[in-house]
Formats: sequence, structure tokens, C-alpha cells
Amino acid sequence: MAHQVNTIDFRRHLDRSFWTATIIMGVISAILMALILIWPIGDNLATAADSAHLIDPIFKFMIFFAAPIFVFVNGYVIYFARRYKHRPDEPADAVGIPLYGVVPLEIWWTVLPAILMIVLGVWSAIGLFRLYEPKPGALNIESIGHQWSFEFRYPGMKNSFYGDFYLPVNRPVTMNITSADVIHSFWVPQFRVKLDMVPGMVQQLHFTPTEIGTYPLVCTEYCGAGHGDMRTQVHVVSQADYDAWFAQQQAKATATAQGPNLAAGNADKGKSLFEQKCSVCHSIAPFDQKKVGPGLANLFNDPQHPKLVDGSAPTPENVAHILQNGFTGPIGVMPNAQANGLSSGDIADLVAYLKSQSK
Amino acid sequence: MAAHSEALAHGHGVMTQEEYAEQRDLRFLGFLLFLFTDSIFFTSYIFAALYLRSAAPVWPPPGVERPDVNLGALNAIILFGSGVTAHYAMHRLKESRFNGYIWFTIATIILGSLFLLGQGYEYSSLYHHGVTWSGTTFGASFFTLTGLHGFHVFVGVIYLIVTLAQTLAGVYSPSRHFGLTAATLYWHFVDVIWVVLFFLFYIY
Amino acid sequence: MSIDTIAVLRRADAPIHPAPESFVRKYLFSIDHKVIGIQYFIAAGLMVLLSGLFAEAIRIQLTSPHNTFLTPQQFNEAFTFHGTLMVWFGAIPIVTGAFGNCVMPLQIGARDVAFPWLNMVSFWTAPPAMLILLSSLAFGAPDAGWTEYPPVSLQAGVGIVFWTVAIFTIGIGATLTGLNFLTTVVKMRAPGMTFTRMPLFVWATAVTSVLSLVATTALASALGSLFLSHVFNIPFYDPSRGGTVVLFQHMFWFYSHPAVYIMILPVFGIVSEIIPTFARKPIFGYKLIAYSTVSIALLSFMVWAHHMFTSGLGVWVTLPFMILTMLIGVPTGIKIFSWVATLFGANMRLTTPMLFVLGFLSTFTLGGITGIMLAAVPVDWHEHATYFLVAHIHYVLFGGTLMGVFAGIYYWWPKFTGRMMSEKLGKLHFWLTFIFFNTTFLPMHFVGLLGMPRRVAYYDPAYHSINLFISINAFILGAVTLLLLVNMFWSLKKGPAAGPNPWGARTLEWMISSPPPYYNFKEIPEVYSGPYGYGEPLPYSAPYNQVSVTPSY
Repeated sequence: MAHQVNTIDFRRHLDRSFWTATIIMGVISAILMALILIWPIGDNLATAADSAHLIDPIFKFMIFFAAPIFVFVNGYVIYFARRYKHRPDEPADAVGIPLYGVVPLEIWWTVLPAILMIVLGVWSAIGLFRLYEPKPGALNIESIGHQWSFEFRYPGMKNSFYGDFYLPVNRPVTMNITSADVIHSFWVPQFRVKLDMVPGMVQQLHFTPTEIGTYPLVCTEYCGAGHGDMRTQVHVVSQADYDAWFAQQQAKATATAQGPNLAAGNADKGKSLFEQKCSVCHSIAPFDQKKVGPGLANLFNDPQHPKLVDGSAPTPENVAHILQNGFTGPIGVMPNAQANGLSSGDIADLVAYLKSQSK
Repeated sequence: MAAHSEALAHGHGVMTQEEYAEQRDLRFLGFLLFLFTDSIFFTSYIFAALYLRSAAPVWPPPGVERPDVNLGALNAIILFGSGVTAHYAMHRLKESRFNGYIWFTIATIILGSLFLLGQGYEYSSLYHHGVTWSGTTFGASFFTLTGLHGFHVFVGVIYLIVTLAQTLAGVYSPSRHFGLTAATLYWHFVDVIWVVLFFLFYIY
Repeated sequence: MSIDTIAVLRRADAPIHPAPESFVRKYLFSIDHKVIGIQYFIAAGLMVLLSGLFAEAIRIQLTSPHNTFLTPQQFNEAFTFHGTLMVWFGAIPIVTGAFGNCVMPLQIGARDVAFPWLNMVSFWTAPPAMLILLSSLAFGAPDAGWTEYPPVSLQAGVGIVFWTVAIFTIGIGATLTGLNFLTTVVKMRAPGMTFTRMPLFVWATAVTSVLSLVATTALASALGSLFLSHVFNIPFYDPSRGGTVVLFQHMFWFYSHPAVYIMILPVFGIVSEIIPTFARKPIFGYKLIAYSTVSIALLSFMVWAHHMFTSGLGVWVTLPFMILTMLIGVPTGIKIFSWVATLFGANMRLTTPMLFVLGFLSTFTLGGITGIMLAAVPVDWHEHATYFLVAHIHYVLFGGTLMGVFAGIYYWWPKFTGRMMSEKLGKLHFWLTFIFFNTTFLPMHFVGLLGMPRRVAYYDPAYHSINLFISINAFILGAVTLLLLVNMFWSLKKGPAAGPNPWGARTLEWMISSPPPYYNFKEIPEVYSGPYGYGEPLPYSAPYNQVSVTPSY
């Protein structure tokens, strides 16, 4: 293959026009790189934990080098497409220069990216080991994913609870996360870390919140019909506020243990509760009109379905029982009262509403 | 060349020796690639079995008795024996000793079928001891992998019966017998898989 | 005497098989690779359009934070169908079944593939598979994404059965196609066409075929075990009986990572053909491009767990996958730089196929860069399963695969139909696609980094304006695709005759008539050199060195 040897003089194309274009690209890259260096990520998304402080610089490093690569690739494509366009006054069969390769160039563009990758790899590996390291004196909190809410269990607290949770600022935390049903994922964007909540295993997520504030906790692994709404909040507060909350939460968790007073249920309140919490999966319609769960129009009086899904008779007490404890069956999983954030009064209201809708 | 075109125009089976050699060449590579891909299928399930085993706190899981090594070994010997008879069958064919080929192939078919019966016995005895397909991950891996293998053995037995019938009908000759080569290769493949599975479930 | 032993099929005077006569044998159950390629193109093209409709439904739902256009169940089915149809019923069949079938045998100077009947059977696994999947919409659809992780995928009921059976079915065709193509490239190249004289699209097809052969059966085992889990209650993935859910992720991604390379390597091949033709100079770094294709394929089997960095692998398993993933960026970068360098000193014609290739260079590079950004595990812990990931996927699959497919369609359309497409419509299609693709998917990077997860029917109202902006651009992007369809129909009715080599290219498919006769080559050509030597005489035996290589469109 004689023509593989590069004897053609391509250097005459490395002329003023070429270097002007290259310098322009260089300047644009330099400007972008400078902007990236000084850009405060925290202005767009709070940098609220030590993990975020570890991760943001790595992110910046990658964007920093991505910018010139992007500029030069696009830049040369545009420049060559304009400069080397076939001109109508050229012969129709004109060809470009027969350049098969330039070995030094090919070596450089293999070695330089490889070096970048090595630096990135080492930095990321160090970061990874740090993120996996448990911190001494960490607050060990359990978080269990459910369809579709987060359950928390704090050390020293008798019962677990669902929903908003609190963390003291500047105290290392170890979240012990798992799932009670399907895979969920635990993500606070402001902390920059997420790990999956996997049934059958406990994963540990270590971080130390460093900024007081309220941040979202978002489920980031598809987990069924309610995935889009599976969100709660983490409040990072001072130690004093945290202690106050802790005491309050202790008291609340014990209170939900009492049963609902069905006679006092309010159907109107029940209606709005239904629309908020139940309509994701149920409609007031005949049994077979399923959204996810069956239609509940004739819950107490359906000749085709004379029993409730758990096999019990269709009485208000049994319906309240299902609302309280949830239900897992061949049709799917219905969350329990705690997962749905239902108090005893709420259950009574819902039962009253369902009764009013049943002929 | 006109003879060629005419011959080809009248359908397959009427090829010159050169053309046949080329087709056999192509099909041999194709068949090897098929066996290769089939081995990946088994490898994936073997990986799954090993993964599940390493994730289990104790193996076999509580309540599960390992299948009897002696029965397994006997069955393995029967299957490997069928590999030997298959090998000799091809030998005889290449030497134009058709009777030898036929008897060795029948022996292969019988031994293969005996293996399947042995597996059936193994399965029923395991079920008797409460080791079921869906009960534990041991059952899941054992029955899925050996079941897949057993299915392959079954297909192999049918394949051998069909090629035997074809040979009796005069389809193959000492110089043209790619179908038999393929069947024998497939049978050896099934044997090799069993070596791995036997080791995995009965010994390791 | 020729270089290698010329067996019968590759002798210059190799006999030509008789022409098919009935309608059924010509168009329905044809064993002609060109007809089969077009069948794949039509079937898979329809699936791509259908998948696009599902995507538009998703974007309608996401025009407001708690929209009621789709119920959550319908939304989940929509993104499941969008991904499933695009990957297995759209992209993979088009790049392998359509382009591979149509172009590769012509480029190696063969009359057909190694196993033409098997080729036909491979195609015919696709329509039943498509019917099975689509019928699930009536009986109970799968709804856990194209990845269908257990346990959530097992909650959908019968949907998972349809899903696994459909993909298993079309997977059989994909595996057999890989087997067929690899045998063809290894055994049936024209005399004189050594590996280093092969066109780069043939390299790409051969390497992709290896991936199909090895990886697809691994998928079959993952599908099989999911099927067994649902139908027979086998506890692979049930933690209460000793199973583990992460096992599925290993089994699934061991296939699905090579699968994404199956979707892109043939496109790299298409790009490597189009650039020399319209730059009218040899591809820069032919050997590096060929060998980097092989190394990417090898590495693609070693990086699957980079989809599982948050799944609980532990630091010592995570680390090697991170390093290998970063490593795979190097050969990919080499290719991009080589393509750009091919433009240096060119005599360039900015036709529609060339424009799509240049657009590909821009969008795929960005997609590759965000891929590296996902490889760095600490940062991946922020980006995983967010819209940043959705942006990455679409930059490499739309900005990569689909742009390359569009380029290939415009490039080879004259060869297989004998007619030119409209350059005006084509250029309009390109510019609108390039602009609206970027305006649709670029913002997704930001909204993902800010906190929006993927696969959600509802989102934080703070992201409302970005999502609305994305959706509007997505609607325009979808509409723009119709321009291609219009162009195709216009060309078939009114397009000017193409002649054998309108682009002035040098690979063998351009040395025969457009469309080619059913037997491709009257005599099998002999090849004396690689195909990219613009300015030199054509390196083929007569009459294949007599076609004009002056552009004539």
C-alpha cells in the first residue's frame, strides 16, 4: 500500500487562514474555560453537604475540558466546511488531498485524552473512596422506601414515621437505606449523592449536611404508578431546632397507634382526601374500571364482588382496616395509612365518603 | 459452466464437489457460531447460579438436600458414553462402513434417551424431597440450567433420529455429510455443557 | 493466479442463481438481501415513527407539572413503549437488518449473504414480535421502562409476558443476522479484498455482528428468567426466597451495553463511507478507525455495570467499571478526530447526507462528552436516572444513531431506488432537525442536574418553563421528520434518475446499476486496493473500474 506513506505536502494548508481559525477557537475556548472556573455552582443549586463540595469540583473539571473539545470539534467542522467547499469553477472531478494519516498527530490525540482520563479516573477514585467512608460519630438513620413514600427510623425513636425529616447541620449522617417492596432511589440534589433503595439489601449513604435549609428528597428509580409524586423534604436545621423536632416527632409517632372513630367521619373531607391521595389508583366507578386498583363505586354493595380484596366482609370496620394496614395482593400493593399520611380522623372521613358513594 | 447453471437452476442437492465444499465451509462456520452463541446462553445462567450462590448466607439453602452425586455420575457416564458412540459413528461413516455408522448412532440415541430418563428420575426424586423449581434459589438455578440442558439433549436426540433416517434414505455419502457433522458437533456440545453443569451442581 | 484460493462462489464466472418469479418469492418471502433490507427498513421505520408518537405523548403530559393528559399508568406505558420500540424494533433492525443487508454484500462484491434463506427467516421474526408487543396494549401493557427492572416490572401482570416474548422473538432474528453477516464477511469477500482493503462500513458490520452474536443470547437469558419469575414464580429476583434484584441488572446490562454499540458502530461505518465520498479524499487514519472499532467492541463487554453505579455494587466492583468506561472514550475520540481530519484539505460538497454527517459530528461529540461525565462515579451519583441521563441517551441515540441513519438514507436511497431525492427538502430536513434537536435536548441536561428525575409523570413546578420549552421544541422536531417521508414519496414519483454513481463514490456498490440487478454482479469483481484512493484509478477488475467517479447529481 504505497500510498499509505505520507509524502504529500499537507503543510501548505496550515496557512494563515488555518491558524487564524485555530486561534479564534482557542480564544473562545479560553473564555469558556475561564467562565467555567469562576462559575459558582452553588448559585444554581445549593452546595449543601460535604459530598457536594467533593463532587462539584470534579464536575467542573470535566466541563472545563469538555469546552475546548466541543469548541474545536465544532469549530474545525465549520471552518473546513467553508474553506474547502467545492467551487463551481473547479473541475467536477476535483479531489481533496490524499492524506491517509499523520502519525505524530494521531499519537497526540490518543495520548492527551488518555492523560485526561487518567487524571479524571484517579480524582474520581479518590472521591469515591471518600464517599464510601463512614464518618465516626455519625447519626445512623434508617430509610425504607415504599410505594410511594419514604419511611424513616431514627435511633432512640420508638416508632418510625413517613414524610418530612430533619437533620442537624454539620453532623455526619449515615443513611441506611433499603426498600420494603420495589427498587427506589434516595436522592437529595443539593447533597449530590444518591443510592438505590434495594429490597433485600441495606446500602449506606454517608454525608454531612453543611447548609441550613430545606431540600427535596426525590425518588429517582422508577417504582410504579406513584413514582412521579414520591417526593418529600429534608430540613437541615440547627442542633437546637433538631432536638426540638425530635422530641415532637417522638410524641406524634406514638399517637397514631390509636384506632379511627368511624362514627365521626365527614364525607366531604373524605372526598377531598380521596381526590388527593387515592385517585392516583382508584376511581369512583364499577370494580372493573381499574386505574391501578379497582373502582370503588359500590364498595359496600357489589353483588359481583361480595367480599373486599382481603377476603373480609364489606363493612366500614374492615374497610378502615385495609386503609390502616394497606394490602398486598395479586393485583398489586396498596400503601398503608402511614405511607399515605393518613391519620385516624382521615380514615374515618374516607370511610364516610366511600359509604356515601356506595348504593 | 453451463452445466453448473443448469444444475443449480434445478434446485439444491445437485452441486459439484467444489460447490459442495464451499457450502460446507460456510455452514461449518455458521454452525460453530451458532454453538458459540448457545454457549453464551448457558454461560449467562451459570453466572446467575454462581451469583445467587455467592449471595446466599448458606448453600445449599436450608431444607435443600444436594442431589445424589452417584446418580448424577451414572447419568453423566451414560451421556459421555453417548459422545463416544457418536464419535465412532462418524469414524465409520468416513470409512464408508455404513452399518457401523448406523449401529453406533442407534447406540447414541439410546444412551441419550437413557440420560433423559435418568434426569426425569432425578427431578422426581428431588421433588419428593421438597426441592422444587420455585422453592429456593437452589431449585431455581438447578432446574433451569439442567432443564435447559435436558431440552437441548431432547432436541439432539430428535436431530440424530432425523439424520439417521436421512442416512438410511441415502442423503449422505462419505464425501458429503455436513448434516451429520453438524449433528455430531451439536451432540458433543451438549456433552461439554454437561461437564460444566455436573461440576457446578454435583461437585462444587 | 489470484491471491487466495478462489472457491466457486467467488470465481469471476461464478454461476448466477435463477431469478425469483412469483410475487410471494419476489417481495414477500424473498431471499434477496436487498429486498430483505428494504423490508427491515419499512417495518423498523414504522416502529420508529410509532415510538416517536409515544414520545410526543410523553412530552404533552410534561407540558405542565401535574398534567392530566395521561394517567400515571398510561405515562409509564408510554415511556416503556418509546424505549422498547426504539431500541429493539427500530434502531437495531435498521442499522443491522436494513443497512447491513442492503449495503454490506454489495460492498464486498458478493451475490448475497452466506445464508439467504436464514436471512429471510431472521426478518420474519420481526413482524410477529411487533404484533405481540403492540397487542399487549389491549391485554395489559408492560410499564417499567425499556429496562423493566424487577420487582416493579413483575407487578404489571401479563405485560411482562408480552414484553419478554416479543423481544426474545426478535432477538432470535438479530442473533441469526449477526451469524449470517459475520460468516459472509469472513468467507465471501471478493478475491483480493483483504481485511485492510474492506470499506469501513463492512468493518463496522462485521464487528457489530460479533456483538449481536455474543450479547443477544445473554439478553435471552435475562428475558427468560424474568418470564420464569412471572409465570412460574421462580425466585431469581425475590429476596424473600434467596434471590437478588441486582442479578437482573447484571444479566440485562451485560447485553444492553453492547446493544448500544450495536446501535452506533454501523453508524460509525456509514459516517466513514459518506465523508470520503463528499470530501473526495481518503478517510484519515483508516487503520486506527478499523482497530478502534474492534477495541470499542471488546471494551463494550467490560463496562456494563456503569449503568449500576448506584445499585449497591460496592467500591471494589465499581472501580474497574469506572476505569474501563473512561477508557472506552479514547478510541471513540480517535474516531471523531479522524473524521474531522478527513475534512482537512477536502474538496467538499455539502449535500444532504454530508450535512447530516457534519451534524452528527457535533451532536454525537456532545453525547460522548456527557457519557464521560456519567462515567465519573461521584458525579454519576448526582446525574444517574435524571434528565441529564435522558439528555445523554438522546444525544448519542438521536444525535448519533438517528442522524447517521438519516445520512445513510439520503446517501444510499439513489442506489436502491434508482432515483434522486430532493436536495432542497433534504437540506430543510437537516437544518430543522439539527436546530430543534438541540433546542429539545440541550435543556434536559440542566433540568436533570437541577433535580428532575427521569420516568416521572409529574415534576416540581420549578421546572415548568424548561419542560414546556422542551415540549414545544419536541413537537416541532417530530413534525420535521415528516419532511423525510414527503421527500421519499416525492422521489419515488418524480425523482430524476440516479444512474449508477451520482455521488462519484468508489466503493463497489456504486460500480453497478441503480437499482442493482437481483444477482448484483454479473461477474465477481477482483479487488486490488482499498476503496478510498480519490484521484487514482478504480482498484477493481473490468467492467467495475469503468464507472465514472465524477459527481453527477
